[in-house]
Amino acid sequence: MLKSLQEWVMLFVIIGFMILIGNWIGYDVMPLAAMPGIVTLALISLAGLVIHRLIGYKKIPSIAYIGILAFVLTIPGVPGSEQIVAWTSKVNLLAIATPILAYAGISIGRSWADFARLGWKTIVVGMCVLLGTYLGSAIVAEIILRMQGII
Amino acid sequence: MAEQALNLWKDWRLHVVVFAIVIVTEFIGTHEISIGPGVILLLPMLYAVIIGIGLFFTPLIKKKQSINAEPLVFISVTLLIAKFGVQAGPALPQLIDAGFALVFQELGNLGTIFLALPIALLLGLKRETIGMTHSIGREPNLALITDKYGLSSPEGRGVMAIYIFGTVFGSIFMGLASGFLATITPLHPYSFAMATGIGSGSMTAASLGPLVAAFPEKAATITAFSGASNLLTSVTGLYASIFIGLPLAEKLYTVFTKKKEKRVEKNSKVV
Repeated sequence: MLKSLQEWVMLFVIIGFMILIGNWIGYDVMPLAAMPGIVTLALISLAGLVIHRLIGYKKIPSIAYIGILAFVLTIPGVPGSEQIVAWTSKVNLLAIATPILAYAGISIGRSWADFARLGWKTIVVGMCVLLGTYLGSAIVAEIILRMQGII
Repeated sequence: MAEQALNLWKDWRLHVVVFAIVIVTEFIGTHEISIGPGVILLLPMLYAVIIGIGLFFTPLIKKKQSINAEPLVFISVTLLIAKFGVQAGPALPQLIDAGFALVFQELGNLGTIFLALPIALLLGLKRETIGMTHSIGREPNLALITDKYGLSSPEGRGVMAIYIFGTVFGSIFMGLASGFLATITPLHPYSFAMATGIGSGSMTAASLGPLVAAFPEKAATITAFSGASNLLTSVTGLYASIFIGLPLAEKLYTVFTKKKEKRVEKNSKVV
């Protein structure tokens, strides 16, 4: 646990630094201004990872704890929520996404050979699988949001 | 993250490369391509995947870096999940209003079966179809199919094929498709925001990015809806596959293939 904790902290420092720089280049937010936001997000993530490790029940993924924790901390009225929202709003979502997908790309390289062996039918079906879930969810959401008069 | 995945932070070669990718891609910035009424947004994160894949084939990245990169995707996704969460808190009243839509759009994830299963059958695939189309085929589904049919069964080969396709192309494809679909279809960006929670961190990030970039004035609500939907899917996704997705795929497979058999019989009688 302690070793994992050290590992996680070091990784958040490294990734956080990249996000700060990306946020600066791509979205013109000075790194010092975005620093409290990144630290907050990293602490929330860290807390979620620790909770997941401590709780024996593994069927709930750690990202569920992280999402719920971040959500609860920022509900209006919760002490400090405004501060957290103000800090984290300086960290652009797209600036977080770039290093994620850079790591993803590097890790994907290894699957390339496997991919090359798949037939063209898989590509067609795969695209339909992704489109189906995306459009299906959007259509259901659209119908209900309209019924409720939200959009 | 598993215990054996230790000392990842010491892989400086990997981090330096990723850092370089971030700098280069953020400097390139966002570009738009208009195709008819739709817009494809080219975002730094999309160049980042492609450069990342490309670098695997250069001496800069060795197998070790590629293996280490995988848990790092997970660790960095946690920051994104936290960002989703902090956008969702302030939007609580809106989330409550939209609660029904959020819960029911989970059913829309089954759209994959209705769209992809008939097409897979038309292409002449057999029982692979069930593995391929019962879900979007991420890790939990891989585990489910392996448990139920075994990985060397046709169903297992099917889910594996979609798993690999999704791994390699999922984020690129969703990144290109999401902004484009949101601009050409009459559906509201909020509906698409809810649809981005599909059960894969990097695909969610990739499909949300273009939405946020295309509708900056709605960014906070879009992120909140996406985060809530992603949270729901991450908790309920596997159970939806077990109790609805897989049985439904089995059922539809039987219905479609029986019809086909009958038609074949009829045709052979006529002949």
